[in-house]
Amino acid sequence: MPHDHHDDHAHSLLPPEPALRVKALETLLVRKGLVDPAAVDAIIDQYEHHIGPHIGASLIARAWNDPEFKKQLVNNTDGILAEMGFGGRQGEHIVVVENTPACHNLVVCTLCSCYPWPVLGVPPAWYKSDAYRSRAVSEPREVLSEFGIIIPQDQKIRVWDSTAEIRYLVLPMQPKASFGLDQADLVGWVSRNSMIGAGLP
Amino acid sequence: MKSYHDIGGDPAGRVTPDRPGDPIFDQPWHKRVLGLTVAGGAMGKWSIDTSRFWRETLPKSDYQSFTYYEKWLAALTNLFVANGFISRDEIANGAYDGPQQPLYKKALKASEVQAMLATGSRASRPATAEPAFSLGQIVQTKQPSDTMLQKPGHTRLPYYAAGKTGSILFHHGHHVLPNSNAHFLGEHPEPLYSVEFSSIELWPHTGGRGDSVIVDCWESYLEPVL
Repeated sequence: MPHDHHDDHAHSLLPPEPALRVKALETLLVRKGLVDPAAVDAIIDQYEHHIGPHIGASLIARAWNDPEFKKQLVNNTDGILAEMGFGGRQGEHIVVVENTPACHNLVVCTLCSCYPWPVLGVPPAWYKSDAYRSRAVSEPREVLSEFGIIIPQDQKIRVWDSTAEIRYLVLPMQPKASFGLDQADLVGWVSRNSMIGAGLP
Repeated sequence: MKSYHDIGGDPAGRVTPDRPGDPIFDQPWHKRVLGLTVAGGAMGKWSIDTSRFWRETLPKSDYQSFTYYEKWLAALTNLFVANGFISRDEIANGAYDGPQQPLYKKALKASEVQAMLATGSRASRPATAEPAFSLGQIVQTKQPSDTMLQKPGHTRLPYYAAGKTGSILFHHGHHVLPNSNAHFLGEHPEPLYSVEFSSIELWPHTGGRGDSVIVDCWESYLEPVL
């Protein structure tokens, strides 16, 4: 039966150099039949080549172009994502929060690094940094200025701290300069950071 | 009182945004840690709540000096040991001397990866009771330590939002309670709410007027404000 003994810290027995530490653990797990190295390769391949912010960008671009789809994306997020074959690990419960002239949304996870993986891929280093995790909740305007974004004082900021299994995806406002473009061209306007709230399209 | 992983609101330096074209993984070994962690979790022997608890209770000096994937690696190593799959001796000796073992029956196979990632593992459960709080209702959070079911224990109530007054913004239905699930004490699903706190309530001297922070809280984290 598993237990919560933290006094033995087996990890400190691994080699000091991180790359060797991983190698040592993987070798052991593979030799003991606990991990299939081909499965590890397949997981990496998924996050390197298949699951990434291009998925979120395609959803946002379509929402900008298609009011009916936007309604579905906001109100029936899990349903529409499942229908389209997106969703899954670390995005089982996605909530889309829409930026408006009155409200800008920013997403963080102060307790660890929760992030909507199926639509944005692996989180960037800054999202996992102590600086972002600490300050996004208490001084979001200063943090956003470090991304080069100034939010007007009359636009409120809502910061979403991902403390549960709900994952937040920001629906940015469509820039006027992109009005009239078709969906394929709009995708290029949707940056990853804009779907976290740490950027504008 | 406040755990060292619970850093929301702490003073910290500037955020360094990445640049276009930066790699998804800084180092090749980062990929292996990610793959091993996902594959290990897919064995179904521990939940994501357990993994989080083991990462956040790494020794303080390790938690604060390790990079992100080093934390994952350390917690994963300890979970495999604590669950009896590998031994301290095998780690210390850097080897397992026996013959190559056949693949464990619950080990994730390469052919299952895509479907496993696409399916995920939902945290919602059928409702067993009506939610105690209604949309817009004013509630107060407890102290994080008062929500723990053992000490040291796991909770998802951050310290900066403890003992604060907010209002119910969303109700998400019943979700697995991490405070019990992390410790193999059962799922005990509870109503989950998004609770909105004004920044002024959280940081009276520096909070932005009109700004707010939303924290997802299980029902047992909350008390009604009469």
